[in-house]
Amino acid sequence: MSMTDGPTPLRTAAAEQAAEEREASSKAAGKSDLGQRGRRKSGSFSDRWHALSRQQQWAFLVVVVILAYLLPLFNPPIITTEPGNNFALACFDMARFALIAVGLNVVVGYAGLLDLGYVAFFAVGSYCAAMLTSPDSPFLHIPYLWTIPIAMAVTMFFGVVLGVPTLRLRGDYLAIVTLGFGEIVRILATIIPAMKGQVGFQNVGHPPGTEAGGTPIFSNSNGVPWYWLTLTIIIIVTLLVGNLERSRVGRAWIAIREDEDAAEIMGVPTFKYKVWAFAIGAAIGGLSGALFAGQVGFVNNQKFDVTTSILFLAAVVLGGAGNKVGAILGGALVSYIPLRFTAIAEYKYLIFGIALVLIMIFRSQGLLPARQRLLAYGRTALNKITSRDAEPKDTGIPPAGPEGRVAGQRGAEA
Amino acid sequence: MTLLELKGVSVHYGRIQALRDISFTVDEGEVVALIGANGAGKTTTMRTISGLLNCSEGSITFGGQDITKMKAHIRVVHGISQAPEGRGIFPGMTVMENLDMGTFGRKDRTGVGRDLDRVFDLFPRLKEREKQYGGTMSGGEQQMLAIGRALMSNPKLLLLDEPSMGLAPQFIRQIFRIIKEINNQGTTVLVVEQNANQALAGAHRAFVLETGEITHSGTGKQLLEDPSIKEAYLGVG
Repeated sequence: MSMTDGPTPLRTAAAEQAAEEREASSKAAGKSDLGQRGRRKSGSFSDRWHALSRQQQWAFLVVVVILAYLLPLFNPPIITTEPGNNFALACFDMARFALIAVGLNVVVGYAGLLDLGYVAFFAVGSYCAAMLTSPDSPFLHIPYLWTIPIAMAVTMFFGVVLGVPTLRLRGDYLAIVTLGFGEIVRILATIIPAMKGQVGFQNVGHPPGTEAGGTPIFSNSNGVPWYWLTLTIIIIVTLLVGNLERSRVGRAWIAIREDEDAAEIMGVPTFKYKVWAFAIGAAIGGLSGALFAGQVGFVNNQKFDVTTSILFLAAVVLGGAGNKVGAILGGALVSYIPLRFTAIAEYKYLIFGIALVLIMIFRSQGLLPARQRLLAYGRTALNKITSRDAEPKDTGIPPAGPEGRVAGQRGAEA
Repeated sequence: MTLLELKGVSVHYGRIQALRDISFTVDEGEVVALIGANGAGKTTTMRTISGLLNCSEGSITFGGQDITKMKAHIRVVHGISQAPEGRGIFPGMTVMENLDMGTFGRKDRTGVGRDLDRVFDLFPRLKEREKQYGGTMSGGEQQMLAIGRALMSNPKLLLLDEPSMGLAPQFIRQIFRIIKEINNQGTTVLVVEQNANQALAGAHRAFVLETGEITHSGTGKQLLEDPSIKEAYLGVG
């Protein structure tokens, strides 16, 4: 991937190796995005994480992923949302929110564009899936799985259409325009006859396959296959987004987030990269909308209001804007809490409101703060090209241990 | 040879006209200073040259090419690099990452190492702090970083917007020494300053900007000795 061009440098400096180790380990993790600043704040967990070797980190991640897949089968007693809600369906809902949060994180977390109308992309994705598969729809009908890429393409198009005129605005103005866009999509769904307003579309399609008894595997009441499908998609999307984040595109986004004017005079085509962030975020939103439509099997105009948009944003901010693992965690939590504690579900906005206030006061970067070393790869590339740091020097960083050397060498090989 | 030429440039913020019919040239190899009081239009001039602002009238030529309509990020590729006012570094990035951002628009990766050495030679302090976050450094160090970052694109023309702002006097002298050194290495420098004394002393030529118009021009020395300038900008009457 981004261990780019240039000759393999001499790496003798302990400091450089230590840096390499950090980068290599965070690359290996692909999910552990706690940078120095985060580390200082979030203390022992990430310290311990970074002390692990690459293999240990991978092993740990594999275990976590397997456990995540098995979660609805175990139905662990305290965590479960039953009897109030079917646990497998709750798992799907968490995964759906997590996927949305990953998408919104690209827009809000990486590029720093405050999008209050993200639900619009989710709605477009849902309607795409519904209108192309539901028997209620007058349009052509295609197999459900085809609607997923189509939904992504269409929402991406909407992202660009919204982005091109609005991304010349900044900050508050952009937020207000996106808020308006979110409402426009909802209202269009109400007033355009073909979109059937509140009546909506029933029997939205689902992926093929039937069980022995003839019931479809991906039925509305069985959350497990839907959860697995969504989880798989989350993993793929997270890996892709992670690669983007560490690439030139990611560097451009972070620079835009930090200081747009400065980024522009560094040679970053800011407008282009902002539209890209919008389009990619939109595509992920559309993807999760299509999944949602398939699982629920019914789409009408009632599920795409502003509060949902704010809930998505809350998930990203809660988890840690700019950190994809944080976004997944935030998304899952925002969905899980009202499902688990049904007694307080009515007050979920109150509770999330209070939680956000507390987070902003005590941990303003979210539960898992953004990794600050997003440019680590750019820097590595720079070091590679220039073969700098040939002479060892004392920078106060403890010399890399055996694991560090392994990681460093791996970095060099990659 | 003329490197940069502004011809009849006017800039508006909405209805307010910030620059009125500004014309001047910067020759290759020069240090040119632009001095003036608050609100005279110094920063506006800089942002117009770097492309962050569009001029409503007039034209800008750079190296013989008309760049009036060119976007800011492309002007960098052509060789105009700005260290913005108020430093404008990326606070959440380390020094090294900031410098790396300076190379974003570069096509030739081969010269990067040489320019990095040059920046670290000019600012050994940055080398010491290469892993520190930009936002945690002192004002002077941030200023060094902003200049260093601008140099990383290997510009033909370096725009410095108030490099001495908010710095201690010893730092200011150091910064101007470094500007001289950068110029000696072959980079043309256009510097905007309120600290007229230092700026005029270090500049080959200078212009005085008042309420969006150029009122005086001449060599640094001439302007230093000009009585009206002395009174208005140098604090001696």
